[in-house]
Amino acid sequence: MIKVTQKDLKEIVETVQDYAQILIVGCGGCASVCLGGGQKEVDRLCAELNLVFKAERKPGRATGYTIERQCNPVFIDELKQIIDKYDCALSMACGAGCQYMAELYPGVPMFPAVDTVAIGIDRDIGVYEERCRACGECVVGYTGGVCPVTRCAKGLFNGPCGGTSGSMCEVNPNIPCAWVEIYNRLKDQNRLDNIKKIRPTVKWQNQTQRTLIQKR
Amino acid sequence: MTIQNPPEIDSRKIREILWERKKEVVVSLKSCAHCALCADSCFLYRCRKNDPKYMPSHKVINSIGTIYKKKGKVTRAELEEIRDIVWKRCVLCTRCYCPLGIDIPSLISLARQICRSQGVVHDFEEGKIE
Repeated sequence: MIKVTQKDLKEIVETVQDYAQILIVGCGGCASVCLGGGQKEVDRLCAELNLVFKAERKPGRATGYTIERQCNPVFIDELKQIIDKYDCALSMACGAGCQYMAELYPGVPMFPAVDTVAIGIDRDIGVYEERCRACGECVVGYTGGVCPVTRCAKGLFNGPCGGTSGSMCEVNPNIPCAWVEIYNRLKDQNRLDNIKKIRPTVKWQNQTQRTLIQKR
Repeated sequence: MTIQNPPEIDSRKIREILWERKKEVVVSLKSCAHCALCADSCFLYRCRKNDPKYMPSHKVINSIGTIYKKKGKVTRAELEEIRDIVWKRCVLCTRCYCPLGIDIPSLISLARQICRSQGVVHDFEEGKIE
């Protein structure tokens, strides 16, 4: 699922300090699951913001409201009765949710209260690891279930670069080299043939906006 | 260490939310013919070996249906039971289909809204979904 993390409180205060009535909108989907922007986090941010406004004698007043999802108009519709009462809104959903809210309520300045970090897995509750960059051309079938786009700093498709040192990445020595993992896994599965064929480089389809129409 | 009691359930607030969409709730609950055709459209129902507890109609009747039947006068324990139905047995993928046109996701979402208004929400830190 998508993983988000709350922005620094100072940054949030700076973006909304000129507004009197602020609506913090939580998302009951991925943002809730990763403990970044669900109802609990909305309540906490709301209390923190009101405390800052009070301490700094600012007129701002934050109110929280959580909808089930900010990427689906059915749920965003729930806000139409209350959103006009507010001068601006802080979205605690991923970038997609925040943008959709801004599109559906163009009269209300919409600010993100979280940073969208990754499409990732839950290593543990509160510990997440990125696993996908949504490149649109999945190759993990040939690479032993290890994504070279996400896990290789250079996104290489045909083996490691020259910088691999002690099975670790040269860009970040704390990250294991994706290609060492790919090699080891394929070797264990007796599938090394999979990476012997030269593959064309990634097409970076995710650099332009994509629209998906599911065909059956 | 002091242990804080959870706040009382505010039935008035629940009724307020419910009454705003009363017509939709009443028509939906009355229209359900218990045909069970919605069941097959729910992937959770199918991957839980056709457990009837995962049927979309069952989830609606036992969540918003219960709240409506009790006119919002539900206890915390009842609301917690409803919370488990609407969070643990439904992911709100909005793919369920009713031949009579009942908007099932919207009703589940309303039940969640009512739970949220009383601070009865699913705890994602608690662990895995059922």
